[in-house]
Amino acid sequence: MTEMSRNFSPVNTFCRMCDNHCAITVHRDVSGQISDIESYPDHPWNQGRICSKAGGAVEIVNHPDRLMRPLKKVGSGWKEIDLEQALDEIADRVGDLQSNYGPETMSVWKGEATSFNQQEDLAKRFCRALGTPNYLSVDSLCFCTREIGWSLVYGCWPKPDFRNSRCMILWGANPPAAHPPLTRQILKGRERGATLVVIDPRLSTIARQADIHVKPKPGTDGALAWGLAHQLIANDWYDKDFVKNYTVGFDKVAVYAKDFTPEAVEAQTGVPAQTVIKVAALMHQAGSRVAQYTGNGVEHYENGVNNTRAIAYLDALCGSFDMEGGSLQADGLGQQSLALYEEIPLQQLKRVDGEKFPVLHDFRQECNTMTALDAILTGDPYSLRGMIMTAANPVMTNPNSEKVRKALSALDLFVVRELFMTETAQLADYILPAATFLERTELYTYAAIQSVSMSTRVQSIPGVQDEYQFWHDIAHRMDFGEHFPWEDESVLNEWLLQSTDVDFKDLQNTSKAVQYQAIKHKKWQHRPLTTPSGKVEFASSYLVANGYEEVGEYKAPYYIRSPKPEYPFSLITGARNHLSYHSSYRGVGRFRAEVPGPQVEMHPDDADGSGITDGETVKLSSAIGSIEIPVKIVSRQEIIPGVLQATHGWKEANINVLTHDDILDPIDGFPVQKGVAVKVERIR
Amino acid sequence: MKIVTMDPRKCVACGHCENACAFHRTGDYDHRNSAISVNHYPDKSACIPMTCVHCRKAWCMEVCPAAAISRSADTDAVLIDANRCIGCKMCMLACPFGAINFDTEKLTCFKCDLCGGNPKCVQHCFPGALEFESEEAVPLANRNQHDNRLAVMFGRENND
Ligand code: SF4
Repeated sequence: MTEMSRNFSPVNTFCRMCDNHCAITVHRDVSGQISDIESYPDHPWNQGRICSKAGGAVEIVNHPDRLMRPLKKVGSGWKEIDLEQALDEIADRVGDLQSNYGPETMSVWKGEATSFNQQEDLAKRFCRALGTPNYLSVDSLCFCTREIGWSLVYGCWPKPDFRNSRCMILWGANPPAAHPPLTRQILKGRERGATLVVIDPRLSTIARQADIHVKPKPGTDGALAWGLAHQLIANDWYDKDFVKNYTVGFDKVAVYAKDFTPEAVEAQTGVPAQTVIKVAALMHQAGSRVAQYTGNGVEHYENGVNNTRAIAYLDALCGSFDMEGGSLQADGLGQQSLALYEEIPLQQLKRVDGEKFPVLHDFRQECNTMTALDAILTGDPYSLRGMIMTAANPVMTNPNSEKVRKALSALDLFVVRELFMTETAQLADYILPAATFLERTELYTYAAIQSVSMSTRVQSIPGVQDEYQFWHDIAHRMDFGEHFPWEDESVLNEWLLQSTDVDFKDLQNTSKAVQYQAIKHKKWQHRPLTTPSGKVEFASSYLVANGYEEVGEYKAPYYIRSPKPEYPFSLITGARNHLSYHSSYRGVGRFRAEVPGPQVEMHPDDADGSGITDGETVKLSSAIGSIEIPVKIVSRQEIIPGVLQATHGWKEANINVLTHDDILDPIDGFPVQKGVAVKVERIR
Repeated sequence: MKIVTMDPRKCVACGHCENACAFHRTGDYDHRNSAISVNHYPDKSACIPMTCVHCRKAWCMEVCPAAAISRSADTDAVLIDANRCIGCKMCMLACPFGAINFDTEKLTCFKCDLCGGNPKCVQHCFPGALEFESEEAVPLANRNQHDNRLAVMFGRENND
């Protein structure tokens, strides 16, 4: 072996092509270029397996279209500028904006395309140090509904223990596409005798192995959950000891559930009454070994938080909360806090979303993006003029794309850190090249196994910063460098671990995991939950105090509540493909193999009814907007009649042109991106 | 010998094995370049993976007129030597599992070579439908699944 090639020996680190952090080995060729990615055999989370997105990182990292130099908008074109100059100019302009319009005129928007575990807290830290309460993120329309819904009931979002389960219930979740490592646990659970119930209007990938595939109409999951609760209570199948000793508000739930008879549930959801009875019986037979998981499919409706609460109640009724084979109330690592919540509380400042979503703010300390975009356009409650965005692509992912484009174009200063020239980056004043996951190090906790790992920087590209370095450099150019004292992210990682029992050195240069705490169950026996009452909250006095329903009431989605004959179909968006991560990787060479382009899936009966043929391009419209998109007629089992499905992220046919930023979940402000009332028109 | 075993009870036809194999062989994600293929039959609720099982008495090897097919001394895998293959497709016809494919550019047949002993498809199978294991493990795995189901029916704990 030559001296040179020895320098490029394989590196064990972690994949971040999605947020599952599978342990991998990265190979480089003799010139040092990243050439192949293999699974690393010895990590408890991915257990020697990876998905094919991991290998695709080779193409992303080395792609000729990757942004490598800072760009400044000059007229309608771009000019390459030096990194130091770009940082100087950005810092100056942020300072000017703030002295002219107040500190809160600035905002930071965190995306997912270069995400890492410290990203959110670093961005929040930067905001607070900058003196603005306007932290925005992609979480406004992904993840928060589930996190908040479950946390309102349990003080946390518990992790399902599929492996030891007897009955696994997936609500609007498709792990093979969105969380591949969970697929392994689910199939293992099934091999060990558990029944798999998949609740999804589509035959999702995981539904292909379901013992029972339950197909509710989009957005009616809440009614189904209440129907199951009704069965458990009416048949005396609930865990009375647990309910009596560790919960509050059961009586209210018992009263509210009464109306959700199997027949009523069938009328609302389209799920046969017999199926409701059967699933409830399976849950009963499983005892406390019922493991539930809610995916992004329960979000994107105006009743998402309450639907999630209703689903969450089932764990408590089955007595499966923090039980083996049920769910785990996972303990955190206890690393140092980065977000400056206490040091710089900023209570006195009005947030740009006008305090419309206090629950979102209480749980997440972030503002709702739909409302913030309105504020940019209307100046109400005040004008938001500056934004730094870290690899988000809201033009493709937020609802009502045309409005998003208009709002972001109206900013005085719009800075985007990105890997590629996205539809959103095109609107920026400055674009800075961002580091990929192979060009930084990140500390990551696997809550479900209470373990921590740290990724290794495989390569560095001159002029391409990791995100910590970017915040650090801007902070030091302005007057709050003291809040970013760490020399680099590795020193930061070491600092983060100081409050834990984990030794930094044990995580360095390895793809191994260190378990920071052994798994224990039934912690509720001796430790109060972090809910206001310290118990499982069927009823929430906190929500009542904020003007919301005490229990997770069901409200039918708008397309059912007030149907409009001109929009006969209900459209689902936001489902995941196996080779994409949210809107990322669309159109990058080999990723096109799986789904070569945008398409809207349709049931054969619906196609027959309108004479539409497979592959035909149609006009798809909602009350918000319309696009042209080819139809894919799927098999009868793959979608329910009257429902259409299209994934987001395609610039040729951006489905979010159709979705609603004007109908929001009143609790956390999530927009309606599923169950969108649409019509289909033939073009020819 | 070790082979890639396939369990349709765990396969979800996610296609990651096909992507990985195609990429390993040709540098793209075109499933036509994959030696493993997975079929999904939505109306029957069935997902069936299929790759070469490296038959002990391999009909493809016996039928090949060019003597292009041989058994690896290292892994016992049945291998096609692309340099000797004349593209006559007799092996494709002989294989009862449809596990041999035709490369329309090189005009030769190709099949699974077990990646020299660390099959990519198995690395990329999260569901665990594919395992790289010894021939003797196959009946044991089936027996284990069957036992687990009975054990659950009887209401006992099921251990590994
Ligand atoms: S699931 Fe796939 S993309 Fe996600 S971290 Fe694991 S290997 Fe990477």
